[in-house]
Amino acid sequence: VRPIKRIVVLLFAMAMVATACGSDKKTSESSATTVATPKANPNAELKVAFTDDQYFTQATPTNDVNVGVYPLNMNISETLILFGTNYELKPLLAERWEFRPPNTWRFFIRKGVTFHDGQPLNATTVKAGLFDRLARVLTTGGTVRAGANSTVVVDDYTLDFTPVVTNYRVPEQLVHPQNGVFAPGSDFGKKPVGTGAFKFVSYSPKESIVVERNDNYWGQKAGVARITARFYPDPNARRLALEAGDVDVIYQVPATDVKGLKAKGFIVANSAVGAYEAMYANIKNPAPRDILSDINVRKAVAMSIDRKQLVDNVLEGQGTLDQTVIPPGALGSYASTVKGFQTDVNGAKTLLDNAGWKVGSDGIREKNGRKLKLTMIDGFPTADAHGAIPEYVQSQLKAVGIDSEIVKTSDAASYTKHLTDKDGDLYFEQGNQNDASPAFLPGLLWYSGPETSGGNYQPIVGPGAGSTFDNLLKPAFTEPDHDKLQKEVADAMHEIIDNQAAIIPLNGIFRSYGMKKSVQGFQPHFAFLQVRWETVTVTS
Amino acid sequence: MRAYALRRVLLIVPTLIGISLLTFILVQFAPGDPAEQFAARSLARTPTKVEIDNARHYLGLDRPLPVQYVSWISDVLHGDLGRSYSTREPVSHELRRRVPYTLELAIPAALLALAIAIPAGIICAVKRNRLVDQVVRITSLAGASMPSFWLALILIIIFAVRLHLTPVAGRGSLRNFILPVVTLSFAPAATLTRFIRSAVLEALGSDYVTTARAKGVREALVVGRHALRNSLITVVTAFGTSLGHMFAGVAVIETIFVWPGVGKLLVDAIGQRDIPMIQAFILYIGVCFAVVNLLVDLSYAVIDPRVSLKKTSAAA
Repeated sequence: VRPIKRIVVLLFAMAMVATACGSDKKTSESSATTVATPKANPNAELKVAFTDDQYFTQATPTNDVNVGVYPLNMNISETLILFGTNYELKPLLAERWEFRPPNTWRFFIRKGVTFHDGQPLNATTVKAGLFDRLARVLTTGGTVRAGANSTVVVDDYTLDFTPVVTNYRVPEQLVHPQNGVFAPGSDFGKKPVGTGAFKFVSYSPKESIVVERNDNYWGQKAGVARITARFYPDPNARRLALEAGDVDVIYQVPATDVKGLKAKGFIVANSAVGAYEAMYANIKNPAPRDILSDINVRKAVAMSIDRKQLVDNVLEGQGTLDQTVIPPGALGSYASTVKGFQTDVNGAKTLLDNAGWKVGSDGIREKNGRKLKLTMIDGFPTADAHGAIPEYVQSQLKAVGIDSEIVKTSDAASYTKHLTDKDGDLYFEQGNQNDASPAFLPGLLWYSGPETSGGNYQPIVGPGAGSTFDNLLKPAFTEPDHDKLQKEVADAMHEIIDNQAAIIPLNGIFRSYGMKKSVQGFQPHFAFLQVRWETVTVTS
Repeated sequence: MRAYALRRVLLIVPTLIGISLLTFILVQFAPGDPAEQFAARSLARTPTKVEIDNARHYLGLDRPLPVQYVSWISDVLHGDLGRSYSTREPVSHELRRRVPYTLELAIPAALLALAIAIPAGIICAVKRNRLVDQVVRITSLAGASMPSFWLALILIIIFAVRLHLTPVAGRGSLRNFILPVVTLSFAPAATLTRFIRSAVLEALGSDYVTTARAKGVREALVVGRHALRNSLITVVTAFGTSLGHMFAGVAVIETIFVWPGVGKLLVDAIGQRDIPMIQAFILYIGVCFAVVNLLVDLSYAVIDPRVSLKKTSAAA
């Protein structure tokens, strides 16, 4: 027994010493960082941890390839127009653009730009590397609706684009990196060639993508020589990779990790609000899914939720109280048109009483022998993404006498099934603003007109043809003026949220990026796919 | 023995067809529409009904189910496993690319598990109810019941974050193998230790061991030559099962350690309702288990001369 005891004690002591040495190393490193003058190292390699790999290397009639482009944008290719961190449209490969009625957009191409393979950027290469590519690969011609004869070269650096259908949202749609300009003739599913600040080096599916600085870049030269982005689907591994020093920057820091990372000396940079957490009510289906067809019940649900407590406690401060659903930045000065709901438990109870739902002996309301019980489907994009929010809402609803059950879906396909079966009363959703058009999400999800898709949400939460919401939103699809567009969308959102309570907003979401202190110049973008890397430096 | 092996190999074919048919039927019951998932991923947005119908036609999912299955099995017999709905690449390419990643983890993990379990199991049996036996039994119980994701994170925190001895995740150098291999081997090592312990214990209590001891054979030879050899059938059976599971990949470990093996491939394929990929994966697993089981069965005859694989003996 004695030798075993001695071995156990020895091993324990070795582990303690080794652990202590590990701690000392880290402490001395951080001390050195604070003492030495930080100096950007232009030869540095930036190591980035992204989430799961979602690149496509094969095109189909409905999708183009997107290696290095979406959703992790390595800045290999560039778009004509840039989506700024404050929702502004900025010139990129197009120096300016103008609308020419009835349906043509004229782009003035930047001069002095070359692709990584040496081809010049001009109207002809933009036509071939963007608009003709979209028309050739995708049956719909992409979001901008490019056709085979849509693009006309006016002169060396000017081209006219006329979509196959009336499309006044072209500049806002062109900011999406999938609408980047690629070198004509290049196989960008295998080796993307663009004009960006970084050149493609290699891609290992489900592992990593590597790019290097483009020393001939037309704009600000990149501050690092190389970027290696590795895919870490597991958020814990991502965070630990940062703590271990394996990577310099991590995407999507979970709310519960923010305090811990900051306490250990890492920087957590938050973007502007670019996404939302909301519940979609099933407003127009027969029993047993008819409870929320009563607007008073919907409003009672909306009023029973204490959003400040939700943000402070459930999200640990990693959220905002915005209730515009469309990110407020996208609505500009009209964001205040959408009011949202104040917490008013007594008001909620009164609404339910007036709707005929009386408190039963067990504290749950009932009407004509039917219990007031809601089925809550959790949720899009995954149940995990919503964390404890559904449970929190459940407890708040209970306080006003509404019973509920939470159905956690295992994946996107299962969630979609609940949408098509219309078997939920409330659907937990997180949506992103990846497009610069404020009409993008309302058109995609809740509008019933022919201009957009409507999809699975239309039979549940969409107010429907002829509704005030549709009438308010309709002009937004043919409105060339961005300011008027924002007003039209804000009015429509006011209708569907404040007046109809069909969408019950919970909170605004910003994107959190974790990084070492040695990383400087990183500009957190509310859309992952719009992150720019040329400004980033690593200090030695 | 050769005839037996041939018979078993031929039996694999109908077994795999049965498995594939069952998988095909089960996939149809999974909630969610593969065409809708395909269209949504392609468009990076909610598809319209027309877009979903187009996707269904493009994928051939608008054909009757029996036609779909016969078409698939006919392609498989011609060596074509189909195209993945999610990557658009031929499924066979994806499997060929991912299987080696799983094997490069599974084989060292299996060897490590054996290297730990055989001595640990023997020591426990020989030192029954002594301190070392108690410690190993508790450790193996903990190892068998510990969730692998938790063990993986603990190992990362200690060896990568605190001690900086290994990277957190990813492939590259030999150091990258340490944590995933140790994590993957932990549960099989624990299970095998318990199997070996009880098998050796049982053998140590048998008459031939008593006889050997009475003849004055050294204890090391008694354990090594008599007890262990007679326990090997149990050990090989348990090891074969563990090996099959390891070849199937462990999605949790592959996800945490960013290892692009087949385990994560299957989980992704299920989430995306990638039917060709799911079916090909199930076929791959079927082949793995069938081959491992065959090898295990054949090894019985080598380990124990009393076992005969001749048809007459088997019938007897």
